[in-house]
Amino acid sequence: MKEKTNSLWKLFQERKLSRRTFMKTCVALTAILGLPPTLLNKVVDAADTKELPTVIWLHGHECTGCDESFIRSTSPFASDVVLNMIALEYDDTLAAAAGAPFEAHLHKILTEKKGQYVLAVEGGVPLDDNGTYCMVGGRPFVDVLKECAEGAAFIIEYGSCAAWGGVQAAKPNPTNTVSVSSVISGKKIIKVPGCPPIPEVMTGVIMHYALFGEIPPLDVEGRPKQFYGNRIHDTCYRRPFFDSGLFVEKFDDEGAKAGWCLYKMGCRGPVTYNSCGNLRWWNGLSYPIQSGSGCIGCSEKGFWDNDNFHQRLPQVQVANTITTADTIGTIAGLTAFGAVVAHGGVTLAKHKYDTIQLEKKYQEELDAKKAAKEQANNEGGNH
Amino acid sequence: MKRVVVDPITRIEGHLRVEVNVDEATGKVEDALSSGTAWRGIELVAKDRDPRDVWAFVQRICGVCTSTHALASLRSVEDALNIEIPKNANYIRNIMHSCLDAHDHIVHFYHLHALDWVSPVEALKADPAKTAALQETVLKTYNLSGLEPAETQSTTSAYPKEFPKGNATYYAAIQGKVKKIVESGQLGIFAAQWWDHPDYQLLPPEVHLMGVAHYLNILDKQRDIVTPHVVFGGKNPHPHYIVGGMPCSISMDDMNAPVNSARLAVVDESIALAKDLVNHFYLPDVLAIGQIYAKAGMVDGGGLSKKRVLAYGDYPDEPYTGIKNGDYFKKCLVRANGVVEDFGLGVDKAKFLPLEGEDLMNPDFLSEEVEHSWYEYPDGKKTIHPSEGITKPNYTGPKTGTKEHWEYLDETKKYSWIKSPTFKGKACEVGPLAKYIIVYTKVKQGIISNPTWAEQMIVKQIDTVSSVLGVPAHVWMCSTVGRTACRCLDAQVAANMSQYFFNKLVTNIKGGDTAVANTKNFDPNTWPKEAKGVGLVDAPRGGLGHWCDIKDGKTSNYQCIVPTTWNACPKTIANEHGAYEANMIDTKVKIADKPLEILKGIHSFDPCLACATHLYNKKGEKIISVNTDAMCK
Repeated sequence: MKEKTNSLWKLFQERKLSRRTFMKTCVALTAILGLPPTLLNKVVDAADTKELPTVIWLHGHECTGCDESFIRSTSPFASDVVLNMIALEYDDTLAAAAGAPFEAHLHKILTEKKGQYVLAVEGGVPLDDNGTYCMVGGRPFVDVLKECAEGAAFIIEYGSCAAWGGVQAAKPNPTNTVSVSSVISGKKIIKVPGCPPIPEVMTGVIMHYALFGEIPPLDVEGRPKQFYGNRIHDTCYRRPFFDSGLFVEKFDDEGAKAGWCLYKMGCRGPVTYNSCGNLRWWNGLSYPIQSGSGCIGCSEKGFWDNDNFHQRLPQVQVANTITTADTIGTIAGLTAFGAVVAHGGVTLAKHKYDTIQLEKKYQEELDAKKAAKEQANNEGGNH
Repeated sequence: MKRVVVDPITRIEGHLRVEVNVDEATGKVEDALSSGTAWRGIELVAKDRDPRDVWAFVQRICGVCTSTHALASLRSVEDALNIEIPKNANYIRNIMHSCLDAHDHIVHFYHLHALDWVSPVEALKADPAKTAALQETVLKTYNLSGLEPAETQSTTSAYPKEFPKGNATYYAAIQGKVKKIVESGQLGIFAAQWWDHPDYQLLPPEVHLMGVAHYLNILDKQRDIVTPHVVFGGKNPHPHYIVGGMPCSISMDDMNAPVNSARLAVVDESIALAKDLVNHFYLPDVLAIGQIYAKAGMVDGGGLSKKRVLAYGDYPDEPYTGIKNGDYFKKCLVRANGVVEDFGLGVDKAKFLPLEGEDLMNPDFLSEEVEHSWYEYPDGKKTIHPSEGITKPNYTGPKTGTKEHWEYLDETKKYSWIKSPTFKGKACEVGPLAKYIIVYTKVKQGIISNPTWAEQMIVKQIDTVSSVLGVPAHVWMCSTVGRTACRCLDAQVAANMSQYFFNKLVTNIKGGDTAVANTKNFDPNTWPKEAKGVGLVDAPRGGLGHWCDIKDGKTSNYQCIVPTTWNACPKTIANEHGAYEANMIDTKVKIADKPLEILKGIHSFDPCLACATHLYNKKGEKIISVNTDAMCK
């Protein structure tokens, strides 16, 4: 069988795309991968020469939301990933084939690519009753997983189910579902948690491997540092309002309309490591906080049992102060922002508050004028 | 007679197995079984939670029809607590629901279903210039735009922007890529399919090349149809909501606001794209392929749709006061609630049975059986209403093989993790086809005397397709092809639904109303000690119901009957087959070892197995462990 060893540059040549376009793509990839510009040369070298990896993608106890997220990636495009950057030889969501020939194909790949293929797993692993609560091809998923893990170069746990057990592992965990790394040992495992992870985080991990031929730098939990190195709280566009003590007190109040901090609404941003604050969804369009809802911490271990999600986290310190959001809230509540002014670092917020008040006043004046004018016109018309 | 197993069924959500007995001489399927092969116990996880959080838990039942379970959950909790959401929240939820409908249907056809009809191998034989000409013909012949009413016109979009690329150079480039993949021997996602099956010869090579090109083109465009989820809910899959409305406050004074003019512009553009993709890609492609199949007389696979279909109705035009009090059904723009029997005999002979309000809480109307499911009911009970749902697993394993290594399942005993839901003790098919059959019957028989724009559009669509295909509605609709076609028509209504509610949202904001959340009863201290509610959604795969009991501020009981439960269920006590099984039995298989027709038929339902299988123990008892060692029983 002919080996599929295309480099990214070769693919560009085949498509009659210029070296310039290729370089531009490399610049974009460098940025997407969260690498400093100084590493551009390394990206170009990697894209010039490296081979494409074979990927086997398994499904356990899951909802297929991770697959759906994966195909939402636009840089790189899902089509480019699936057709050019990886050889996706087994994925029961996208594969044309089914049943016996599909299972036979899996076994062929397991043998031919032993030690070379990447194993991507979506979903948790139910263990109770010999794993019979998730049967694939007539046998328990846990058995399929173990068989496929054996010859894998490394394993990716895609999503919070594979990484931590997920929603079915929340109390009382009826099927005794666990993470992939709970049943597989002796393999390098990359955790890509999230419910689901951001599309470009999912493809970014594969892109890194395709470019550099090695897995991305990981933190102690096994998560790629470039995507899980920061708390959402630290990269949140609403962070200045937290620091200034300006909080949404109730859904759809004035603070909610002005985009103030959602900490008091139960936001899990202060304890959640993910790229929602900087990368965001749809390449910068939004993330739950930007759409007015607190983060539920979906990339954190055991987040489902850290409910209820509208209960605020205890004692998160406000920066540069000795006070907590509690005391600020109380004071502000009592003296209507008078106290906030006294508190350092809130001049901007106060300015904003004043602007809103001024604009309201201006609008009222304008409305009054308009009403008077209309009345005058009506009276004019009557004569 | 040959017993053929297909496991796993791919290009679906979740884990599904089918077994069929095929008479090799005639190709007739004598018997068939459908088995959901996994369960996750989400409803048990949802128990004892804060009802304001449950939408997030049950949302994770399914990431494909993401947000439909969240919506059903919110509706059930709001029904229980008598919370009426603000107008803007209703419009925004409807935009999110309808854009998901359009997205889900489009992705289903191109990425989960298309490879049953078109083949990359056949595409290699196509002439790129002829394919370009074919594209032009298809666009002209199967143009179903113009059925949209004035209410769903865009005020901003200057011209339709997305059309299929139609020149020979483009098709040659796509063909070149496919050739490379095939020649490399590493087919990736195209590997190991029955590409030599005679059904692939039915369509000319140019249709195959056009189909493969659109597969790729749509794969890269589909994400932009669900953009409203990202604007209003922060992400997709699994956008955020709140009980009482939406968290995305509206303000025209602030760029930090979740919703302002700039963000509305993003939604507006996404809706225009959805319309273009449906009108210029999806509809022409489905109708072109469908007509060839209809002409070849391949209109089998109707199965249960000829006999009995069910839907709940959806798209409340304005906020409603409740579901079990019946107000929801009065406000729906698509009043598909009810059951239609015997549509297969023609619309005149079809019989309509109503379903609304308190009926949803009545075990005489809706119940679940476990005769052939790996569960048991206590005290010899045979059927239980979902709001009383109680389930104990009783995994009996296969007929041959072991509990951990199946050979064949036993259709005479228990063989699935899916229960059998029934309407008055009878199995029903659900889905876009069911919805279309019911609306068409209700309007044509005068049961709906004042059709809404959406209901009028559905009737117009059906009549137009009937005249394009040259056969009466009941003939083409009740088939595998018809099921696929009705899903496509549903996507067209959905795209227009998004525009309709977007226009209403803008008008309402213009009128000075920016409220998105009713927080009056957000505090659990304002709730009654006990409450019961039902939440309904006509989801992309059919009628979805959630039943929620609240006690002392917690969910004391949570149960769902999901579209794929209706369709993929095992036999009922009355020995009636569910929709998948009926479809398979109504399908002719040309080559027993390569049952492509079975795959195609099952895919026409757009299976979602994670949705379908569930477990609940009302009393919250520890679930009895299933002992696989026979001695331990």
